[in-house]
Amino acid sequence: MSSLRERNPSAWLLPTGPGSNTGLREKMRRYADADEVDIVIVGCGAGGATLLQRLARAGWRAVALDAGPFWEPEQDWVSDEAGSHHLYWTEPRVISGADPVPLGSNNSGRGVGGSMVHYAGYTPRFHPSDFRTLSTDGVGADWPLTYEELRPLYEEIEAELPVAGEHWPWGDPHRYPHRPHPVSGNGELFLRGAQACGITAKVGPVAIANGRFGNRPHCIYRGFCLQGCKVNAKASPLITHIPDALAQGAEVRPDSMVTRIGVDEHTGMATGVEYLREGVQRFQRARMVAVAGYSIETPRLLLNSTSQRFPDGLCNDFDQVGRYLMVQGAPQTAGRFQAEVRMWKAPPPEVSTEDFYETNPEKPYKRGFSIQCVSPLPITWAEHVAAQGHWGATLRRYMSDYPHWACLGALCEFLPLEGNRVTLADETDHNGIPVASFSYSQCENDRHLMSAAQQVMEQILTAAGAEEVITIKRYAHLVGGARMAATAQTGVVDRNCRTFAVPNLLVTDGSVLPTQGSANPALTIMAVAARAARSLVKGARNGVPTSTKGA
Amino acid sequence: MSGLPLEASDGGGRYPGFSSLAQAGHWDQATAAVVQSRLGPPPDVRFFTPAEEAAARALLDMLLNQQEEPKVPVLNMVDARLAAEETDGWHYADMPQDGAAWRASLAALDDEARSLADCPFALLDKEQQGRLLQGICDLRQEPWHGLPADRVWSLWTRYACTAFYSHPLAWDEIGFAGPAYPRGYKNLGVDKLEPFEVRDVRADADPTHGADR
Repeated sequence: MSSLRERNPSAWLLPTGPGSNTGLREKMRRYADADEVDIVIVGCGAGGATLLQRLARAGWRAVALDAGPFWEPEQDWVSDEAGSHHLYWTEPRVISGADPVPLGSNNSGRGVGGSMVHYAGYTPRFHPSDFRTLSTDGVGADWPLTYEELRPLYEEIEAELPVAGEHWPWGDPHRYPHRPHPVSGNGELFLRGAQACGITAKVGPVAIANGRFGNRPHCIYRGFCLQGCKVNAKASPLITHIPDALAQGAEVRPDSMVTRIGVDEHTGMATGVEYLREGVQRFQRARMVAVAGYSIETPRLLLNSTSQRFPDGLCNDFDQVGRYLMVQGAPQTAGRFQAEVRMWKAPPPEVSTEDFYETNPEKPYKRGFSIQCVSPLPITWAEHVAAQGHWGATLRRYMSDYPHWACLGALCEFLPLEGNRVTLADETDHNGIPVASFSYSQCENDRHLMSAAQQVMEQILTAAGAEEVITIKRYAHLVGGARMAATAQTGVVDRNCRTFAVPNLLVTDGSVLPTQGSANPALTIMAVAARAARSLVKGARNGVPTSTKGA
Repeated sequence: MSGLPLEASDGGGRYPGFSSLAQAGHWDQATAAVVQSRLGPPPDVRFFTPAEEAAARALLDMLLNQQEEPKVPVLNMVDARLAAEETDGWHYADMPQDGAAWRASLAALDDEARSLADCPFALLDKEQQGRLLQGICDLRQEPWHGLPADRVWSLWTRYACTAFYSHPLAWDEIGFAGPAYPRGYKNLGVDKLEPFEVRDVRADADPTHGADR
């Protein structure tokens, strides 16, 4: 592997200290709609931005469109909870099913950098077992890809973010490029409680440089990771991949909402994308299209892209688009301590345990969960308290006790189910485009995991000395919806993220993941996109591949 | 602006002298502009009709136990969000979008008050208002005036808490110092405070002790 700075100098292209490289943005190459670029990428988050940087570096003429703004962190982001609403995707959507999943905040993203702008910063790898849960555990799905094939990409991305943490003993044991961060009161209590219970807990893995990294400054432990890192310490594609992509000649076109993928009715090939910018409908021509709009908007775009050849939506010949969408059950348990924890100080991601990640044959459920520190700020904390049924004087009294609480969150591996899916609603957005309807229902295994995770969190907090514990049931993360599979009958894309139906159309975001493990998905989304880029670059730009199988 | 009135038995006065606004000199410009905009005169009511405003004001005062001045102008803040359609975008298939759901649920509150006491919700006495609200909270997933009670309750409390706990005076009573950029924190760990933080003087005031529910 060439040196990090040679293959991705993004951190050295930023100014020293906060802010962004305005020169790079001003001098950015700009393509005309009529230019047939090598690739147009829809969405500039974890998947799209990684693909853009890799292909630009390989000399591709690449453009990435994003529906949201090209953030300028110093001006656009604030160290304030309510003032950060604009970081979320808040276009209309309908949610239904037995267990509907609220959208639009923690599980959505908007603008260049995507949801990694406001994710906590946890970047664990998936375990090798995640890639074959169907054959090993009889649940979920097998990937058409193994952990070993993804490992070199995990290593690449971990170096580029970079990731800080202790030696990681779970899954495929590995080290991290940066040493673990110091922990706050919240992390301290997690470590103390876990030790008392005989549970292994480790500091990390967190995509926040520990020390300077290139021109990126050291973390200042201000605890507002979820509001966008103004410091430039926490990794997001805006600072980890976009700077180099621009330096290599890529274009990022913000405020451009893609409404349809163009397909040639005769050849069945993608021809580019229709998009709206400043109220004008435009069409960017391209030899190849990659969709990276995440698990709700990617299926929505495919379903809205109907044609004679694809009357039920693009790549939907086998009714696979939008299906097997997953969320993680993310119950959050807080404990009350006599001491002052002040959990909002320091980044919310600090300590985790993956002791419960794998199937335990003694349990009545398959697969498992992980537990991590979470450190809700006042508004989110008030939701946690209000969810207990507290209001009025009781709510205020609980809230006045805020410094005394520590909080843990679990990520439960909910299983991919056929009926959990995105379809199109009758409602339309302000552009007149049908919005996504997302139906979600848990299965028995999911419910078992939620309550098992809650029990372990209560046990850890109580062992650390908590006098009272309270839990809120919630969800986190989205993956699936256009999954990777071995055959066109069982998925939307192949192992290289190429759609089965349209040879020059790819999906390179979290929607391709067939299972989700109990890991936060950002690192895996980036690794899968980097792998797709690698296979594209190997295949060169000499036309349509002859086979959809094999790298 | 002085502190919000809150009885000691309700958690008031636990961080004597603590003022998040006193730290404003350490905030970055963009953040200071956003936070300080909450301190000026509240925006005029544009979304709610007069009847809705009356019901919403009484409801929000109850949900947040704001009975005396000074108050965080939660009614105006909620109204401004709804007028600007600053929602999270999604809505339950069995609920209208947020704005319409607010109107429908406030009308239902008034209907229920009228059937109880022949007056709108805002004119019930506090005790009656409290009982009525607790009744809705206890319904959980049961329907209430054609809407799932838990989803109505969550709509109300989400908007109420988001507005209230975005205000520096609310931060003062919970010991939270607010914006932390560019200064950050340097004393991490259990019972470790920054020089500008104020220790809780009633650390044994566990909210479960003496709680009314």
